[in-house]
Amino acid sequence: MPLWWPLLLAALLFSIGVYGVLARRNAVLVLMGVELMLNAANINLVAFDAYLRDALHSGQIFALFVIVIAAAEIGLALAIVLLVFRTHGHIEVDELRALADRDDTREEVRG
Amino acid sequence: MSALLIGMLAVPFASAALVLLIGHRSAGAGKGIAVGGEALALALACVVAFGRLGGAVPFGHTYASTAAVGPPIQLALYVDQLSAVMLLLVHVVAFLVQVYSLGYLEHDPRYPSYSSLVAVFTGGMSLVVTADDLWVLLVGWELMGACSYFLIAHHWELPEARAGAVKAYLMTRTADLGLLFGILVLGHRFGSYRISTVMGDITNGALQLDSLWLPALLFLAAAVGKSAQFPLHTWLPDAMPGPTPISALIHAATMVAAGVFLVARTYPMFTNSTSALTWMAGIAALTMFLAAVYALFSKDLKRVLAWSTVSQLAYMFGALAVGSWTAAVLHLLAHGAFKALLFLAAGSVIHAVGGSTSMDSMGGLRSRLPDTFVTMTLGFGALAGVVPLAGFFTKDAVIGATLQEALDGRQVWTWVAWALFASTIVTAMLTVAYCLRAWLLVFFGDPAPAAEGAEEPSWTMRAPLYLLAVPTTFGGIVVGYPELLFGSTHREELLHGVLSTVVTVLVVLVGIAVTVAWARRRDGDLWRPHPVPHPEVDVAYDVAVVRPVRGLAVLTRFYDREVIGGWVDAFSGSARGLGRVLRLAQNGNVQAYLMVVVVGAVAVAVAAGARA
Repeated sequence: MPLWWPLLLAALLFSIGVYGVLARRNAVLVLMGVELMLNAANINLVAFDAYLRDALHSGQIFALFVIVIAAAEIGLALAIVLLVFRTHGHIEVDELRALADRDDTREEVRG
Repeated sequence: MSALLIGMLAVPFASAALVLLIGHRSAGAGKGIAVGGEALALALACVVAFGRLGGAVPFGHTYASTAAVGPPIQLALYVDQLSAVMLLLVHVVAFLVQVYSLGYLEHDPRYPSYSSLVAVFTGGMSLVVTADDLWVLLVGWELMGACSYFLIAHHWELPEARAGAVKAYLMTRTADLGLLFGILVLGHRFGSYRISTVMGDITNGALQLDSLWLPALLFLAAAVGKSAQFPLHTWLPDAMPGPTPISALIHAATMVAAGVFLVARTYPMFTNSTSALTWMAGIAALTMFLAAVYALFSKDLKRVLAWSTVSQLAYMFGALAVGSWTAAVLHLLAHGAFKALLFLAAGSVIHAVGGSTSMDSMGGLRSRLPDTFVTMTLGFGALAGVVPLAGFFTKDAVIGATLQEALDGRQVWTWVAWALFASTIVTAMLTVAYCLRAWLLVFFGDPAPAAEGAEEPSWTMRAPLYLLAVPTTFGGIVVGYPELLFGSTHREELLHGVLSTVVTVLVVLVGIAVTVAWARRRDGDLWRPHPVPHPEVDVAYDVAVVRPVRGLAVLTRFYDREVIGGWVDAFSGSARGLGRVLRLAQNGNVQAYLMVVVVGAVAVAVAAGARA
């Protein structure tokens, strides 16, 4: 199997993930985009591991680490999404702008 | 002796510090320290001074000396006959003023700071009269300037007191620049700042005549400012809102006497410089006449006395200008006695009528204030030059000296000397007129409503009057025996029989005329208050100094606010504007941030690929 097949698949998955993160408004779908990107990276790792015939299989081990981290991340992220839904009643990402840097400190500085 | 001398100088400052520390906690202790310290200083001054009177050898001592480049600056003191009599005058008047202030400022919450400032004032004058180094003299000189500022502004809630204090300080301070530059010129010329050394060099040096005109004129400027002579005479009457004992101190013993003392101390320099003497004579002739005219029309008792001080100081400068050192110093001493008496008596009159200084609120006080009446009559008599009193002898010595100079013409331009002589005669007559007018308005006629319930003040305020009345009455004797005070070095003809008779006749004639005017008067005053054409020196100062300074201040403020402040505002504004632009990116939309990250990463990747 030539190397560029899994690499093409990974690139397609990554692009779909980027699209999902940048364009979807629903936080759960954004998270799914993130997962897609992580797994695209995993495909790359496994593909190169096989291609380079690494004796220690560090690519596969690294892919396992990524899966573990992705599981932990999704657990934390879904908890945040749940709390956002409880407090805001929605999970639209572009509506959550409480951390914007607004120009409201100016009057205090001038005293 | 040297320890005694430095102790005498230290006592006033120590007592001032103690009074400030203790006086606010315990009024009695504060008063005790103030008066006791001054009594101690007076005793020490007597010990120091009595050994130096007559033909005694002057005492000089150097306590410390700098090893700087140029002439050394030394803490050196020097007591000769002049210092001795001045020390006695200063401390006697200061002691009596402290005693008097016990009664006058009995209920004043600012008594501790007042009495400690009086002590510092006295210490400053003592330093001036005993200094042998010109810089030490300058220190005392400036101390007095600062103290007079604080004491004139004693009632600082009154706007005129504040204005008078600022005016006094600024005018004398400006004139003091003359002393500063004069010291530098003398030090450069003679390689020493020691007064005794410099004066010895001048006396023995056979200098070319008038070669010292520059330092002499600079010193004269300082003396004119300190002694309130024309054209710097306006600060003294405006200093009248200060407490009356302070006026007595300033007018009799310290401050204004310092100007005359400075000229008397550096007299060899002035006899070398005939141009400075001519200026001095001209200034004296003009000042004594002008001040007497103002005194003649003033409604305010203290202002009458203030103008009379200016006029009498001009007599002293006139005597110094015509070479009669002894007459000038004797007149300074006599004036110190009777002017202190007059101001303290005026203080008890003002106290008795409830604080008003206008002569409209007095009148008929002869029977109500018998002690004040007797002593103040003696004071006015001495000021006017009535025959057996102190002022008569010293003033006639001055007038005689000016006539002598006008006839001989050795030092001063002849026509200036004649003008001075004419001015002394006319001023003597005017002096009689304003003294008699003030005396009549205060003590005779119908009492004003404010004067109805007048009562004599406590004994602390009456005893100084009687003590000062003694030298006022008998002080003239010394004119007959000046060598008792000054030894044989200052021998001058001080008694002028014919001239004294003529002046006395003029005095009597003026007295009769004023009495007639009094008898024929219709309302309160003897003559209608004429607005005296005042030489507009204050206006000139306003145009030449005050307004340019104000304009500069406006310009400075503009520069500070608009230029310097503008730069600061521009920097902060531009930083803030830049921040506002950058802040647009921080819109809170996470997806926008991520878009930037992705685009940036792609751009980096593309750039890296292009290079490879």
